[in-house]
Amino acid sequence: MVDLPVTRALLAIARDTRDDRALAERICRACVTGLDVDGAAISLLTASTLRTTLWASDPTADLLEELQFSLGQGPCMEAATTGRPDLTPDLSDVTDTARWTVFAAAVAEQTDGIGAVFALPLQWGTVNLGVLDLYRRAPGSLSAVQLRDLVGAVEIATLMLLGLRTNPDGEGVNAWDGSWAGRAEIHQATGMVIAQLGLSATDAFARLRAHAFAEQRLLGDVAADVVARRLRFTDADEPGSGTTGRSTS
Amino acid sequence: MTPADRGPDTRQLIAAFVGLADTLVDDYDVIDLLDRLVAHSVELLAADAAGILLADPQGRLRAVASSSEDAQLMELLQIQAEQGPCVDCYRSGSPVAVPDLDAAARQWPRFVASLAAHETYRSVHALPMRLRGEGIGALNLFHRRPGALGPTDIALAQGLADIATIGILQERAIHRGEVLNEQLQTALNNRVIIEQAKGVLSQLGGLSMPGAFDRLRTYSRERNLRLSEVARQVVQTDLAADVLSAPYRRRS
Repeated sequence: MVDLPVTRALLAIARDTRDDRALAERICRACVTGLDVDGAAISLLTASTLRTTLWASDPTADLLEELQFSLGQGPCMEAATTGRPDLTPDLSDVTDTARWTVFAAAVAEQTDGIGAVFALPLQWGTVNLGVLDLYRRAPGSLSAVQLRDLVGAVEIATLMLLGLRTNPDGEGVNAWDGSWAGRAEIHQATGMVIAQLGLSATDAFARLRAHAFAEQRLLGDVAADVVARRLRFTDADEPGSGTTGRSTS
Repeated sequence: MTPADRGPDTRQLIAAFVGLADTLVDDYDVIDLLDRLVAHSVELLAADAAGILLADPQGRLRAVASSSEDAQLMELLQIQAEQGPCVDCYRSGSPVAVPDLDAAARQWPRFVASLAAHETYRSVHALPMRLRGEGIGALNLFHRRPGALGPTDIALAQGLADIATIGILQERAIHRGEVLNEQLQTALNNRVIIEQAKGVLSQLGGLSMPGAFDRLRTYSRERNLRLSEVARQVVQTDLAADVLSAPYRRRS
């Protein structure tokens, strides 16, 4: 089995991590350590126009985020809009940077040389939480194995951040469970709660988690009840769902 | 009579491959293509059910398409993320034929127990989806009758699995480093969107999950829209009402 160091580092993150900045720091550090890159940053798209950089590994990583937000373009914005990774192994290649020439020019002018930029959306279904941005001073692509590691790690990072955002009661990333990703019923139940309450996907998911937490049940079992129409969410607060916390978007 | 006894007729075969080739040169949705592929697999190989599982970056298989969206078949596919012919096929990169599942109980106790509980399928075949030596998933065929598929049918099934592989890679113009893993992850994420959309339609229209999927598929195919884009709009906008009120003829 191939070694995937970033994925491995993420899976080892303490289950009681409750602070999204601390989590972002761990994720970024894992990328810088495990991949051949010089810096990393995670920015959240909290509302359509509001952006927050949760953590940046160094001033250059921070500057790259700032430039994109102020110019309204760049690989991070591209990844957020398209929901697909924007991978640019060579910033001096004009065909690669044609989508964001102003940003590329600003980078050349304001930094002491960035070779490659990789932006990956933090995405769960229709929910786009934000973007993970990586940069390297030297140009060059990530290897296939590195990219595989990164794509897998990004999914875990997304579920961890989503777990914190839909946190019913300060349980940390503890509630994150890799089996979410493959459980069709959890996604179906999210859709049903979206329709039952007129909520966004994130908020609907938060209600499911709050219910599971309050009833001390597994998320998958609660989802199965919703899909089988044994459980229906109403506008009146479900037991324990009054504390869905900071869930937005 | 074993599953090997009935080969597809030539016209059926041509229609399927021409249809698939036609899809591949057009702008298509990868989940929709995989859905068509499992339907063709059932038809051409006289199978009773078929499904496609794709590997996530950590190498765990996830069900992304099945000939019926009923929960039982989806569960059967998903169990194979841990054990069964599909995961063996994915790991070894070779086809796995199980002509009689009764004889395989020791090898895959959970998988065979789940099959037995529903008294459904007696034989299973798994064909690897591979690209330049790297496994990306598997096509799974289920028959109610015991028996192994003949070499011609295995070759045909492998051809269908290969088209699925090409289809995933080809979905959008792949430029620069945007390679296999990204395409795979997009396919897996699109499946999540589709499941959420099924939930919305099921709730608003009082439909079963397979019924909701059928509406989604019919709506997007008739309008030549991407399945996952329609699903996204069902989740994020009020397109659900439009999907549910559109004229709809139940597929036989």
